[in-house]
Amino acid sequence: MTPLILGLWIANVAFDTVGQLAFKAAASGTEEDGGLAHWRAMAMRPWIWLGIGCYGVEFLVWIAFLSLVPLSDGVLLGSINIVAIMLAGRWLFGEKLTGLRVVGIGLVSLGVAIVGAGG
Amino acid sequence: MRRFYLFGFLLLMAFDTLAQLSFKLAGSHALPVTADAAWLARVFAQPWVYGAVAGYIGAFFTWMTLLRHAPIGPAFAASHLEVVSVMLLSAWLLHEPLTLPRVLGAATIVAGILCLAAAERETLVVAPGPAG
Repeated sequence: MTPLILGLWIANVAFDTVGQLAFKAAASGTEEDGGLAHWRAMAMRPWIWLGIGCYGVEFLVWIAFLSLVPLSDGVLLGSINIVAIMLAGRWLFGEKLTGLRVVGIGLVSLGVAIVGAGG
Repeated sequence: MRRFYLFGFLLLMAFDTLAQLSFKLAGSHALPVTADAAWLARVFAQPWVYGAVAGYIGAFFTWMTLLRHAPIGPAFAASHLEVVSVMLLSAWLLHEPLTLPRVLGAATIVAGILCLAAAERETLVVAPGPAG
């Protein structure tokens, strides 16, 4: 992995995680349930715009990343996003990590390491 | 109903796979990677980037529809199992060999995704119970 590829991979994980968490923050905590009022309330929150901004940047970062690595390796290495989001969800939203989740996170991380070491 | 879920999961995987293949082709046609407007112009000048957008939009609406009806565990798994379909299509269309690290890594990641999906199902089943 060259420094550019590594940097793009880390940037992708960072923007994806911040984006997902921002969407989560925008969606939770609105009083209105469903419908147009719910969407209007979400649009007033800065969180949703942070999320959209992150996804816009991630879109370009991901294209740049994939153009430099084989597609098979790219999507497999991208699976680390699942791990990052789960860990961040536990840290920020207190989401529980049960036994099976810990095993799943470990296996996904191990698989990413195998692809990274072999690529 | 089971057939509806299966169709939904396959559709989700198809949209995700289309998006990833399009991302790759959009990037390959815009090389070299440079942090400037010229690279952006190269990316948006060819059709693949719009295939990626179409795949993403299709996946988004399929995902939202599935979430409304299907259990979250299998839906979560289906939304990430495109790593396998993308790997197989890359071998076929992009001539990327199925090397041992790729196959072993993919199998390990898929096992992890299935664990995470099972964990989601667990919470769904347990949460509404009277003892929960």
